[in-house]
Amino acid sequence: MFTELNSILSSSPDSVTPGEFILVSDRQSDASFLIHHFLSFYLRSRCKVIFLGLVQSFRHYSAVSQRLGVSLTQAKEKGQLVFMEGLKESLSVLIPQADNTESQAMNFLRDPPVGLRSLYEFVRSCAVGSGRAEDGAEEWGPPVLLVDDVSVLLSLGVDAGAVLDFSHYCRAAVCSQMKGNMVMLVRCNGEEEEEEDGEEGAEALLKGLTHQCSLNLHVQGLPTGYCKDIHGQVEVCWKRRQGDGPHTQRNLFQYKVHDKGASFFPRGTSSAVL
Amino acid sequence: MLSELLQGIETGGLLIIQDSCSYSGRDLLRSFIAAALNREEEVHVLCFDVSEDELTDGLKPPATQRLHVHNAYPDPLGWTDHPAFAVQQFRLEDLTDLVKQASQPKPATLVIDSLSWVLRHAAPPAVCRTLQQLRKGGAVRAVVALLHADMHQRGTVGSVCHLASSLVAVAPGPKGNEAVAKITKRSKSGKVAQDEETFCITEDLTVAVLSRPSSLPEAKPNGSEEEQADPTANLTFNLRLSESELEAKQKLTLPFVFSKEKKTALLHPGPGSGRILYEPDANDDYDQEDPDDDLDV
Repeated sequence: MFTELNSILSSSPDSVTPGEFILVSDRQSDASFLIHHFLSFYLRSRCKVIFLGLVQSFRHYSAVSQRLGVSLTQAKEKGQLVFMEGLKESLSVLIPQADNTESQAMNFLRDPPVGLRSLYEFVRSCAVGSGRAEDGAEEWGPPVLLVDDVSVLLSLGVDAGAVLDFSHYCRAAVCSQMKGNMVMLVRCNGEEEEEEDGEEGAEALLKGLTHQCSLNLHVQGLPTGYCKDIHGQVEVCWKRRQGDGPHTQRNLFQYKVHDKGASFFPRGTSSAVL
Repeated sequence: MLSELLQGIETGGLLIIQDSCSYSGRDLLRSFIAAALNREEEVHVLCFDVSEDELTDGLKPPATQRLHVHNAYPDPLGWTDHPAFAVQQFRLEDLTDLVKQASQPKPATLVIDSLSWVLRHAAPPAVCRTLQQLRKGGAVRAVVALLHADMHQRGTVGSVCHLASSLVAVAPGPKGNEAVAKITKRSKSGKVAQDEETFCITEDLTVAVLSRPSSLPEAKPNGSEEEQADPTANLTFNLRLSESELEAKQKLTLPFVFSKEKKTALLHPGPGSGRILYEPDANDDYDQEDPDDDLDV
């Protein structure tokens, strides 16, 4: 959990704004450090976290969270964290074995045009399950869905439209119905182009998700090039009305990722410069 | 022109609000809903993009009796068993039934939030056909739709917007909560009027039209002329003229600038003015080529 980011977003583990869809996007950069932030943030707020880790193994996230002061293994044992390890589950579909039942959630790998309905059903069943408190189990807060990352589904053959439908349904279920939150990471590799196909590709997915989200954190490299002390810039855009504030509020910050966290500062105020 | 559109859309009209990632047109759409409700019209809303609460936030209770929301947001594709309204139902027959079920004999205004959802799941020609049939059909008085222009191919957006009788494309404005609307209105006679206005939307969903942005670039050249350096400023001596000095200067005629009267007075000296009498003198008759005056040329 990065304390400076909490103050920028005016959020704290004790008071979590319900019903938010936070979109973390990056362009030719790596915004996965923000996913680690949100993972430790929501675990500390005692929410039930459903993590779809599609690109890295559980041990990777566990190692990073250890440095941020949160133990994923413990959270999983207590039932606070439901971790779907995409890499392992996909093996059960791609290499079916006699004793291993096929994971239903990842069956879009078998037939991509079908879409992500089963993945949504999996998310929904995990989120609804948090409502019923079992005997002796702890009560957790509203469900939070974290997806790292959504763009990899495009490279697995899923249509951008199907991914947008999936995020819409998750938002309807998790954010609106159960008053939880949702964080998704989407990545773009290309330059921002004026002329676009419109229907396919990562650009269309990014635009569609930007329309759906309530808060967008866009990570990019510095426009002036590589710098050792400043790793990039983050543009924070609030889409919903915040009290009496303007309709869309944008703020630009620069950041540096350390061993145990990341620091955020307004442009030009890096400690290396001042 | 935006205020005229808010006051009412003509029967059989299709208004499309085009927005993009940088500015959401949903607030303007809600202003249109509020304006229609205040005019005592029945309004049916097809709610795909956002939840019903978010869409109707800010609409006051007495007016909301005439508002019928068909909530397709929780399940637009029919993945559960009982969807309230699914995107497959976006057809003339289903929509006409839907509108006729709830409302009174007066035809209603249909609001679609958003048309992008429908375009992603139905073929654009089918959507265009349904929209056109709705306009001509008579079950619905007018249609207002929100379209996210950057989510579709330009051809699709162009085809759908070509059907519209009024098109409002919104973009972020110069200041924080202002926006710029480019309005195109096609009347039944075929005349097309275009306009560009800056507006902002207040808490109670009324639209305040501010100054036109086209006037701002015209003001700039005048301003820049005035801002050019004043050479008579910051000097140790005074180069400026007082009022009386300025008048005297303007009255002054320059010595070699001749008006017609001055010319005639000089060329034709009147009686009483000085006359010059000249008698040719031998010494004045100096020939450069014959200084001694003895050549027989």
